[in-house]
Amino acid sequence: MLKVLDFFNYARSKSPWIVHFCSGCCSLEMLAAMGPRYDWERYGYIMTPTPRQADIIFITGLVSKKILPALLRTYEQMPEPRYVVAIGACAYDGGPYNDSQSVIKNMTEILPADVFVAGCPPKPEAIIAGLEELKEKIKRGEPSASSQGGLWKKMKF
Amino acid sequence: MEKLKNILNKYETEYVEDYKSNWVKAKLKNKEDLLNLIKDLKEAGVKTCSTVSPTDFIDDNKIEVNYFLENLKDKKNVWLKVDLPRELENCEIDSITPLMPSAKWHELEAYSTYGVKFKGHPNLRYFLISRDYYGKFPFRKDFDWKAHEKNLIENVNSISEEFFEEYEENEETFDKEGSRTVLNWGPTHPASGPIRLKVYVNGENIEKVDADIGYVWRALENLAERKDFIGTIVAVERICFMDNPNPMICYSQAVEEIAGKEITPFAKFMRVILGETGRIASHLISMGGFFGTMGLQTFLMWCLDVREYFLDVLEDYSGARIATACVEPGGVRYPLNDYKAWFETLNKAINEWERVKDDINDIFLKNPLMVSRAKDNGIFTKDDVEEFYLAGPIARASGFKTDVRIDEPYAGYGELEMDYVTCENGDARDRLFIIVKEVNQSIDLIKQAMKKIEEGVEAGEMNPAKDHLVRMPRRMPAGEAVTRVEWARGEMLMHLVTMDKSTSPYRLKLRAPSVNHTMVLDRLISGKTLSDIPLLYGSMHICQGDLDR
Repeated sequence: MLKVLDFFNYARSKSPWIVHFCSGCCSLEMLAAMGPRYDWERYGYIMTPTPRQADIIFITGLVSKKILPALLRTYEQMPEPRYVVAIGACAYDGGPYNDSQSVIKNMTEILPADVFVAGCPPKPEAIIAGLEELKEKIKRGEPSASSQGGLWKKMKF
Repeated sequence: MEKLKNILNKYETEYVEDYKSNWVKAKLKNKEDLLNLIKDLKEAGVKTCSTVSPTDFIDDNKIEVNYFLENLKDKKNVWLKVDLPRELENCEIDSITPLMPSAKWHELEAYSTYGVKFKGHPNLRYFLISRDYYGKFPFRKDFDWKAHEKNLIENVNSISEEFFEEYEENEETFDKEGSRTVLNWGPTHPASGPIRLKVYVNGENIEKVDADIGYVWRALENLAERKDFIGTIVAVERICFMDNPNPMICYSQAVEEIAGKEITPFAKFMRVILGETGRIASHLISMGGFFGTMGLQTFLMWCLDVREYFLDVLEDYSGARIATACVEPGGVRYPLNDYKAWFETLNKAINEWERVKDDINDIFLKNPLMVSRAKDNGIFTKDDVEEFYLAGPIARASGFKTDVRIDEPYAGYGELEMDYVTCENGDARDRLFIIVKEVNQSIDLIKQAMKKIEEGVEAGEMNPAKDHLVRMPRRMPAGEAVTRVEWARGEMLMHLVTMDKSTSPYRLKLRAPSVNHTMVLDRLISGKTLSDIPLLYGSMHICQGDLDR
């Protein structure tokens, strides 16, 4: 039985689907990673327009107060196991918008991410490298960070 | 110019003076005169309001409202100022929206952020700001942001309440007898980016479109006030990453104007090259995005491939692909120690475009599917351009000859040869064609600027390793400046106010074209069917970054 579960995790790690959701400017580099030069489909990643089929959600850079409920609702609609990848400095602590009035600065407390990709914005190589790291985590069958805790469980959305 | 001055002199003004080559700057004494003055100006051909920008002078206890009014045909513009009392009850002025529809959203924005009430506005409401700021007017100087920020999570929950309220509203407006429905297009639609269009539909036919914006509102104008003059670059360049260098050029010009500094010829041509490279990178996404909204991804991939070569140019120069921070007040940030090597990268990118240009023309621009869907769909006439102030490519697609690079030359554009590129019909297909034409024009401009730099170096007039930057004073004198650049998606206007011996901007107004382009979506999409939304939306080349700022 154990072996079969391992196989599921292995299979899951080989083709993670990513929900098509962008909340900030880092999605431009996501687009570049999709493009011909970097081409993340070589590694099995593909975008899907619906959260119901997705395994991964990206926090692409800044999250403003207004988009947060939409982001959390999209996240909630994804089936388990679901993973979160935070891209860019903004997703960690607000980055260059740390002084701004309208940007969420503690995104990591609200929706803990499994992988952080540093940069403002990170290069496409870095995004793909971050996703490769997540693959290892999926293969090991570890639970995702956001399922363990986070303020999002207490929030209304 | 004299004509405009005569009109302004008919009213009681504090001053009427020339500003730059094609602006008249005036300050109105009585706010009651505003509507009559606007009426007179409209008759004289000044039909468009670029933006409305309040400045909060807390020490003088007044709010100064700036109107930037443009005559797009004759290129003669008016910068009008009116003083208002600062108290919320009396901070009131007549709305100019009934006369100039292009001011509609700009007035809403001024109301939401500064609390300036516009009497007679068709639908004065809170707009752009998130719900926890409703009624608090966050850009006023005495707004206590830290106290507001303390209860962040509760504030966030109050935004969710809006979600639920509106959800119920949509349910209530269901008409049981008919099939009228409110559809939410966005904020997670793959073609849209973070914007929500409330689409009122009857069956498949669209009756009304109401755009809900503010999903990437970063309060950049306020953020700039917390940074120093160099640090503001970080805020300004993040208006939109698609065309990165041009906003920085606009901001740097404003600072240079206040400081009274002139940049070197080398820096001027570098700004042309960087600006045009940014424009091409943005246009390639716009082009691909247009096809992407129709579900044809191949062209998007082609464009992204070519775009990488232009990003290489920026990366070679500044070390970053899209967040380059490569222009700063006083010139451009980095010297070019080996300009020939950089030009080689540039030539490689140009060759890449020339290589695929003909194929793009044959395969995609003549694509029968695209033609049948986009031709004669979503037409804007020249009058629409003036009425709603559609800028840049959208205006030129309708045959309107407007281009800030020619009307009010900045950087090195005055010394380069260029002409207006236009299309005729102003339909969705022309808005794609114009983009392709502009890429060709940009490449021509880059070649000219490269030649100028090469000639300058050979003649010993330019030194790329040293000439890049002029020293700027750390503390600025008091002053204000208005600068415009032709951004990838239209005119960008910045209004910078500084105080004496200040180290950071007192007020920076950013005016970006996507605001107006989103405002006209209602007019563009109403009466069409649901399948037209992505196509027409894509044809406007809207970016949420500069829509919300």
